[in-house]
Amino acid sequence: MTQPDVVVIGAGILGASAAFHLAERGYRVVVLERGAPNREGSGTTAGNLHIQAIHTRRPGQEVPVDSARLLPLQRRASDHWSQIEERLGADVELRRGGGFMVAETADQEEELREKHEWERRAGIPTEVLTGDEARKQLPLLSDRVRAASWCSLDGYANPLLITPAYLAAARRLGVEVHAFTPVTGIQQVGDDYKVLSGDRSWTAPVVVNVAGPWITEISALAGIQIRMSPVAIQMHVTVRVPPVMHHLVQHIGEGMSVKQVSAGNLLIGGGWPAAALDMAGRSTVSVPSMAGNLAQAGRILPFLGELRLLRMWAGPLAATPDEMPVIGEVPGHPGFFVAGGTYAFTLAPVWGDTLARQIAGEAPADPVDDLGPGRLLHDDATTPVSP
Amino acid sequence: MADVMTESEADVAVVGGGPAGLHAALVLARGGLSVVLLDESDTLGGQYYKRRAEQLTAAFGDFRPRGTELIRQVRDSGVDCRTGTLVWGAEDGGRTLFTSDVRTGALGRINTRATLVATGAYERSLPFPGWTLPGVVTPGFALHLATMDRVPVGQRVVLAGTGPFLLPVACALLEVGARIEALVELNHPYRPGISSIGGALRQPARLAEAARYLLTLARHGVRVEQGSRVLAAHGDTQVTAVDIGHEDGGVWQLETDALCVGFGFRPSTELPRLLGCDTELDPTGTEQLPVVDADGATSVDGLYVAGDCAGIAGVHAAGVRGQLAAHAILRRLAPERARVRVADLRRRRARALDRFAELADRLYPLPTTADIPDATQVCRCEGVSAGEIREAAATGWNDLHGTKAATRAGMGPCQGRECGHIVAALAGRGEGTAECFAARMPIRPLPMAATIEGQEVQ
Repeated sequence: MTQPDVVVIGAGILGASAAFHLAERGYRVVVLERGAPNREGSGTTAGNLHIQAIHTRRPGQEVPVDSARLLPLQRRASDHWSQIEERLGADVELRRGGGFMVAETADQEEELREKHEWERRAGIPTEVLTGDEARKQLPLLSDRVRAASWCSLDGYANPLLITPAYLAAARRLGVEVHAFTPVTGIQQVGDDYKVLSGDRSWTAPVVVNVAGPWITEISALAGIQIRMSPVAIQMHVTVRVPPVMHHLVQHIGEGMSVKQVSAGNLLIGGGWPAAALDMAGRSTVSVPSMAGNLAQAGRILPFLGELRLLRMWAGPLAATPDEMPVIGEVPGHPGFFVAGGTYAFTLAPVWGDTLARQIAGEAPADPVDDLGPGRLLHDDATTPVSP
Repeated sequence: MADVMTESEADVAVVGGGPAGLHAALVLARGGLSVVLLDESDTLGGQYYKRRAEQLTAAFGDFRPRGTELIRQVRDSGVDCRTGTLVWGAEDGGRTLFTSDVRTGALGRINTRATLVATGAYERSLPFPGWTLPGVVTPGFALHLATMDRVPVGQRVVLAGTGPFLLPVACALLEVGARIEALVELNHPYRPGISSIGGALRQPARLAEAARYLLTLARHGVRVEQGSRVLAAHGDTQVTAVDIGHEDGGVWQLETDALCVGFGFRPSTELPRLLGCDTELDPTGTEQLPVVDADGATSVDGLYVAGDCAGIAGVHAAGVRGQLAAHAILRRLAPERARVRVADLRRRRARALDRFAELADRLYPLPTTADIPDATQVCRCEGVSAGEIREAAATGWNDLHGTKAATRAGMGPCQGRECGHIVAALAGRGEGTAECFAARMPIRPLPMAATIEGQEVQ
């Protein structure tokens, strides 16, 4: 298929979801991936389904997320995730065990209450519990937990399974996935884009750039200058233990997420920075971040101290300069779509559906105009590519 | 983090207290450098110069007195010997090492000016139906029981696999009273009817050693089957019978209560790979070896590798290579004390020993992984079969990491140390480029208590 309807660049979770949603609508889709599918941020992320607001900054994050703005999208994502295994015909180790967001100080508790109010307005059910109430539900929480907000919709899906499941479902619908096919050029040919990988090419009226940390590079091939600020963050995983905890535990004041996955390992993350982002290979983990993340997780969940750390890894996070997601058509470049940025894992089903609707000329289920790529364009970036 | 890690400094860190590490540490300390020698075990010596427990030494005598003497010299030379110390990570080209006390879990950080990795090798296991049954062990384990504890791994033992290592293991088992039902050698390294090893040689001493072992086996009437391999092990709660297949198609069964299977050794290269040094395919075509010069210097400035982790060549080569690397480090850090002439002599000896290692590689080639049955478990930690790995590889563009992600092969406590080379072979695209799982921190599972404030390290 050299003349598909849509060329999707990137076989991470967003590319896989977009391909699936487009194919469901009958579009002929080709997905191009520079390496192996799901190899970068989508396969190295924590797999959290964040339905309650994440008010927290990653360690080192300069700009806060506008959490309240994202809540309607998280509400929508929650509905999508509830149906995802059925829709994709696959087990992705989906768990909706609910989640705690803990507070250790009075100020943090106040933040929980503020956040709870936004969630109430967005129709996301949460409640703020005292430390004792939270410990009654999850006795593993330490005495340092002063209060916690509880959301029964929080959960987890295995990042190693969801993207392959999307891709498999997409392929059943006729989508072509080309791995180890790096995009080397994008030319405008009339109203179409000709996407090149070496001496191969695909020509389509629509290109979807979901290349994660490479969004800037891929856009630049089409003469579009999009500002991104990718970083590398790291994850930690313990040895397997019998089931002890089916909740997601996060911290309102600091980057922290802990949960036990289906295999029994405990996953500890929270967006702690890796030593450096290596766009050419695997990013290197930071030992101070390891020590910081584990110390903090152990403060909230002291039983972690009895376990052994099995492995840690770093992966890219395709952050934007304003820490908000980016989705939509690039102004001045009809047919060139971009999606990425914050909370792409949780929002992946929503973004796949949103892109499919936008490409079909329909209104998205939730308005996203304010999240379009226009705000990330360099001033000199609107020059169209000459044919 | 400073509060959770104890800091220390040394001119040189030597990781691994086996023959290579001991010889290196001695040269370095006598050259006037401050040396810290780190080993995960609670005694120095590594596998070859392994120490018997005190009561067993009293009862059975010293095991390999040469090792006892070497360890004594190392201690006397002022080397800071830290046994029971796991090196679980490193950065900055090896100038920073992260350690954990094996007993307490306490964390440490060592800053050095140069680091020598002498972490030795693992035994190579290859899966076959029944290989996870109790009673199926590696030859090294059987040797450990026989030499350290004077205990035979079984009354009746089948030894199988390939490599010269099977010979001393067989002799050690005979010495502790085991009956060897057969020594099943995959290849044809031994001349039929004559107790000698094939091939043309420049290492008479090593060959005489092999010939002595073969004579011992002949004296005990041990059946040596060449061109044969274990097809399957059978038993309910433990191995009771073994199917042996000959390359001409013949199959027969032996009753046994222990089966030792090993296919030589695999270099332990996690640390140099973690530190990003250049690697190349080893002679077996299945392992990535650090690229080193004649003195063990890697592509990472200040990082040296010696002994079997730089390529399997045995104890004698390990000692010489350890000395060579130590001389190179001396030339670098204390040029006024370096002895060039000694290094030249060592280099000549190392070349001769390398030639013997090359002969071993030719005489004992590895079997293919292609005939591992689909139902056979490959990753024991996560319970993943060869068939599941093949299927995932085929649907996942034969990408090793994708295969790991899809099957969990290599995600268990050993982190693919045991199965990684087989997963890579099964998932490979057959281009002769042996990929391997990336080396990651922690190199071994790390107790977390020490990182958690206010927690007692157990």
